[in-house]
Amino acid sequence: MQTPMLNMIPTLSTIPPLKLSHETPYAKGEGLSGLFFRNAPITEGVVKTDALFMLIFWFSMFFFFLLMGLMVYWCFFKYRRRPGVPIPRSPSHNGPLELFWTIVPSSALLVIFFLGLWTYTDRQIAKAGSIRLDLTAWKWGWGINYPNGAQSQWLIELDPGTTQKVPIFVVPESENIEMRMMSNDVIHSFWIPDFRVKMDVFPNRYTGYTFDTPTLAEGEDYRDHWIFCAEYCGDYHSEMAGVLRVVPWGDYQQWLTDQNTGDMSPIDLGKLVHTKQCAICHTVDGSANTGPTWQNVFGYDVPLADGSTVLGDANYIRESILAPQAKIHQGYPPSMPPFETLSEREILGVIAYIESLSDRGRPVEEIEGTTDGDGSGGDETGEGSESAPADEDTGATDGAQAPESDADSET
Amino acid sequence: MSSIDHPTDLAGHGDDHGHHEGPYYQTRGSLMADVLNWATTVDHKKIGVMYLFAVLFMFFLGGVAALAVRLELLEPVRAMTNAAGETVITGQLFGGDAENAATGNNTYNRLFTLHGAIMVFMFIVPSIPASLGNFFLPIMLGAKDVAFPRLNLLSWYIYVGGSIFGVMSIVLGGVDTGWTFYTPYSTTTDADVWGRVVLMILAAFVLGFSSILTGLNFIVTVHKLRAPGMGWFDMPLFIWAVYATSIIQVLATPVIGITLLLLIFERLFHVGIFDPGLGGDPVLYQHFFWFYSHPVVYVMILPAMGIISELLSVHSRKPIFGYKAIAFSSLGIAAVSFLVWGHHMFTSMGEVASVLFSALTFLVAIPTAVKVFNWIATLYKGSIALNTPMLYAMSFLFLFSIGGLTGLPLGALATDLHLHDSYYVVAHFHYVMMGGTVMAMVGGIHHWWPKMFGRMYNEKAGILGCVIVFLGFNVTFMSQFFLGTQGMPRRYASYVDEFQFLHQFSTVGSWLLLIGFLVHLVNFVYSLVAGPKAPPNPWGGLTLEWEAESPPVEHNFHTEPVVRHGPYDYETVVPPHCDIKDYPLPEPEPTPEPPTVVR
Repeated sequence: MQTPMLNMIPTLSTIPPLKLSHETPYAKGEGLSGLFFRNAPITEGVVKTDALFMLIFWFSMFFFFLLMGLMVYWCFFKYRRRPGVPIPRSPSHNGPLELFWTIVPSSALLVIFFLGLWTYTDRQIAKAGSIRLDLTAWKWGWGINYPNGAQSQWLIELDPGTTQKVPIFVVPESENIEMRMMSNDVIHSFWIPDFRVKMDVFPNRYTGYTFDTPTLAEGEDYRDHWIFCAEYCGDYHSEMAGVLRVVPWGDYQQWLTDQNTGDMSPIDLGKLVHTKQCAICHTVDGSANTGPTWQNVFGYDVPLADGSTVLGDANYIRESILAPQAKIHQGYPPSMPPFETLSEREILGVIAYIESLSDRGRPVEEIEGTTDGDGSGGDETGEGSESAPADEDTGATDGAQAPESDADSET
Repeated sequence: MSSIDHPTDLAGHGDDHGHHEGPYYQTRGSLMADVLNWATTVDHKKIGVMYLFAVLFMFFLGGVAALAVRLELLEPVRAMTNAAGETVITGQLFGGDAENAATGNNTYNRLFTLHGAIMVFMFIVPSIPASLGNFFLPIMLGAKDVAFPRLNLLSWYIYVGGSIFGVMSIVLGGVDTGWTFYTPYSTTTDADVWGRVVLMILAAFVLGFSSILTGLNFIVTVHKLRAPGMGWFDMPLFIWAVYATSIIQVLATPVIGITLLLLIFERLFHVGIFDPGLGGDPVLYQHFFWFYSHPVVYVMILPAMGIISELLSVHSRKPIFGYKAIAFSSLGIAAVSFLVWGHHMFTSMGEVASVLFSALTFLVAIPTAVKVFNWIATLYKGSIALNTPMLYAMSFLFLFSIGGLTGLPLGALATDLHLHDSYYVVAHFHYVMMGGTVMAMVGGIHHWWPKMFGRMYNEKAGILGCVIVFLGFNVTFMSQFFLGTQGMPRRYASYVDEFQFLHQFSTVGSWLLLIGFLVHLVNFVYSLVAGPKAPPNPWGGLTLEWEAESPPVEHNFHTEPVVRHGPYDYETVVPPHCDIKDYPLPEPEPTPEPPTVVR
């Protein structure tokens, strides 16, 4: 791949080769499911999606063969026109029969709709303790900002021998991952076929979904899954791929540390931005200033000047930074200028910082990705790495909200 | 109905003075006079024939682009470094230079856009209503012409004008936006040569007016020009289908017109409507676009359903099963079609909207399923002639059922998140659009060929062509379902090696399709030149067009027809043990047999 953006990322020589999921003995699909999807249903979300697909498949097969069987039998054999054979009379309508074949498929469709909805909600609502990855897409590539501020830097050949390279994103096994995605230019779409899920990536707006990573088999060191861009985006659309590499938790932590080349954690970055640019008007301790406080905004309904409310989420915060006049907070003058000079990373930092200031946000160590949520991992961050500023926050695992209130609430 | 004669009389006087009783295409003596006569005609039959040749030409153009796309996909594009350290690119089978993969991809992107834009805007939307609809809707109603014959000619010229814009864009180098023109890609691509993108959008904009005017014309014609004795439920189902289609055309097309205009404004004057870089919203564009483009899916398929109702009934000599259910399901589909556009956007909308649209989408499946059940039930106890139109009707039922059923996983939210924008979707809508509309149209052309041109086609060649097209279609598109579920995204000029086998399989199918259509082409040309003369009613149909001559005279009927029976009353109209001379059977039909009814 000759895309300029990707070439800026150094290629490391030590990257282990591609080991695609459906080519491993652990996740190779079998039978009909293998024919359709190649890899076996390896996580709960995939099991449910595949089950729904196969249910619809068999439902369709039943009706298809019933109808086509009748058609072929009648047309080619039973009622084929033959000289001298008179046409028998037959009814031209039948109320009860027509009612029957309207109601039965309708009920079946209702069931399919609810099953689809049931699994869909899993894709939309992140589980507690999930790891959030911030994806940035551009023409034609993508990168992920990890919770500790590190960025993915690994590239691998699309096929052996080719000069076309795609990024590898490393994720831990048996975890719930929450993607938050944005594009720098046109619309892209982040599709992981092995996990049966995709969502479009828009410019100037965060979208996302969640998925579970599979559990590796005994003795398996890693497993790879293709990522493809599924929304047409121009010349190199067909080479805008990627690899999602699932590794054990310990390897993931080590990899994160290795990838972090002095990047600040998002919360620290956000705190820095606040101190330098925002603190004149916005407090973080709940008190009013020229502008509304940042405390307890995230996850709360924010009252607006026109009487309506808006959910204080990432998109709202982003819009309030870049286009502050779009939604005016109740009781405050519309006097904030747009802060277009902030980088995307800094905006994400502000969002993370505001989340850490809310009692409806996730605990700090979860925002920073140092715990795996189910309590099994979580305290091996920061040792010997350059993510020094993160240490003071992540060290305080028992008092999540404590550290920042004393730090820089005043200007 | 007293108003019947009024508008058509005007049309007649505008066209010529004498009252010709020869075929409608009777020549005027010199070539110049003929050209002038066709170019200024307000006769719906001539306009219909001109549309037929125009949309078939567009089908050919779009088909060439499709073949090129399939050819390119025989091999994945790979850039390798050779021993001398130079980059060598392999797998660019269609276009592109050896040094730069982008050029090949660029060509590919223009080809698939070309294929989509031509097939949607210039072929399939006008296809059946404008050609067969124009020719047969007035005749089947027993009218002399459509309600507004001059407007009809105007919509033909608007269609030609729009198509010229589209072809100009292609000649200038084509566009790579995809036929959907999604923003902000479409407002930013090819910034150096803005003209072609604007031209292509303009083409779609202009073509919309042709669609609106034709729809309007048909609605008024159906309301006002039915022959004496023809009530609403005495209309052939083809009329019902075209009527429902026309309603959608009139209501939905203005939306795409405005949307495309806004798109041009944004592109030319940087007015921020859809581009987030200018403060716009790209999802708003998708809403606008699909608010038209989903209903228009039913503009494409409803007339095809109408043709199938005719073919099945006539060629099995059976009254259509559940006439009213089919008629009302056409209107039902037209109504619900306006409520389901969001299912194209499950990966870009909010959750609540997605859930709502998913539910509504399943609603539209119900009238469609009812129609299929009715068609199959029509065959029960029929007298089924296995000729080309009937085989195409059967192909339609087979392929359209697959197309419909494979839509279910796309309507269900969870599975759609996987299948959206994959080859599965490509296969699904080709089964509906090509397996549905194109199969019905080719079947309909065979069915009405004797009526339109006064000559029979060769039945054996027709059957051969149908079988090849059916096989080729399934080879081409069945494989794409599996490509999609396995993870192949659409609109890819290249792919990872694992997908190569299925891609090659699909490409071979596209060649079979080409052969099948060529067989039909040769058959039709041969028929025009040397086909046996067609009787007025080769199939024994009871709708009004079979009471006209083959081909019809200038004003369709010698005397105004009066409707005394329903369109499919084979059992009651044809007297028992009667070898009816009104419904003579054709020579070429393999098993000529009088349609006798035994009680």
